[in-house]
Amino acid sequence: MQGQYNTPNTHKYSVILPTYNERKNLPIIIWLLAKVFEEHQLSWEIIIVDDASPDGTQEVAIELARAYGEDKILLKPRAGKLGLGTAYIHGLDFCTGDFVIIMDADFSHHPKFIPQFIRLQQAHNLDIVTGTRYRSTSTPYLAEAQPGGVHGWDLKRKLVSRGANFLAATVLNPGVSDLTGSFRLYRLPVLRHIITLTQSRGYVFQMEMMVRARALGYTVGEVPITFVDRIFGESKLGADEVVGYAKGVWQLFQSV
Amino acid sequence: MARLHRVSIYSSILISIYLLVLFEVLPIPLLDANVAQEILPVIPWWLLVSFGSYSLWSLGWGVFTFRDCPEAYHELLREINEAKNDLRSRAVTVD
Repeated sequence: MQGQYNTPNTHKYSVILPTYNERKNLPIIIWLLAKVFEEHQLSWEIIIVDDASPDGTQEVAIELARAYGEDKILLKPRAGKLGLGTAYIHGLDFCTGDFVIIMDADFSHHPKFIPQFIRLQQAHNLDIVTGTRYRSTSTPYLAEAQPGGVHGWDLKRKLVSRGANFLAATVLNPGVSDLTGSFRLYRLPVLRHIITLTQSRGYVFQMEMMVRARALGYTVGEVPITFVDRIFGESKLGADEVVGYAKGVWQLFQSV
Repeated sequence: MARLHRVSIYSSILISIYLLVLFEVLPIPLLDANVAQEILPVIPWWLLVSFGSYSLWSLGWGVFTFRDCPEAYHELLREINEAKNDLRSRAVTVD
């Protein structure tokens, strides 16, 4: 028995949080996650994969482990800035849950959506549930889903986002409305399987995981999420990133 | 088989059929030859324009229906304040 609650949900949910210089954000995101999990009486743990942050992120993580429990907050640091994909692989080695949630630590993904992910996953026995910023209803249907959206994007950014999504949807036909999103719930063996096959890096990595998952036949559901971008500061998107994105889509087209 | 290979095979087959019909190697059963010769050369351009208009509509509609969520932003700011106060009482350094 994993949780100590008398609830029908006896699964344990591991959150992998890759961090770099998140000393300010980390306590708050942990507080939000803990609040959501305790409110819904779910067994949980958070694995913090820190890439040798110079600003004291690891010290704050140790304080949080003391406050919430060493079994709940696990700090698994790494020697240097080694990238997102390997951070997930590293974190997966320490997961004791049977579901894994990946998300950003900068408040763009709000933990309040996690119970909706879980409910959708359980209702339809899905392998993966992903958050989408572009839809107002979930697929398959979930009664409590609120419309998604973004805060902090101007018209140009929205146009670029829609254009990028249209390109990926036309070329790759992935079956999800938000391909670059990184707020997802995975079944542990599914994530392990997909991550061993993924080769790209950066945000193309997130796209590749979803495309490979679909190609392998895993079931995917979507829940609308609100995305608060760059709560401290402006969102910038350069020409290099656009070119890199197009290259990433072309590589996926060739390999999957 | 990767998506690129699947798409290449299907499009090669379709393009070969199209070229055979265009150069009158294959006949179309129910259509008059004159009418067919007027329509066929235009088909690629028609496909291009249709795809272009669909893309434009799709982008325009997508941007038009892109929701803003200011309430999520304000809720988040409130929660950040609440979290900071609670965490200070639990001996965690915030800010």
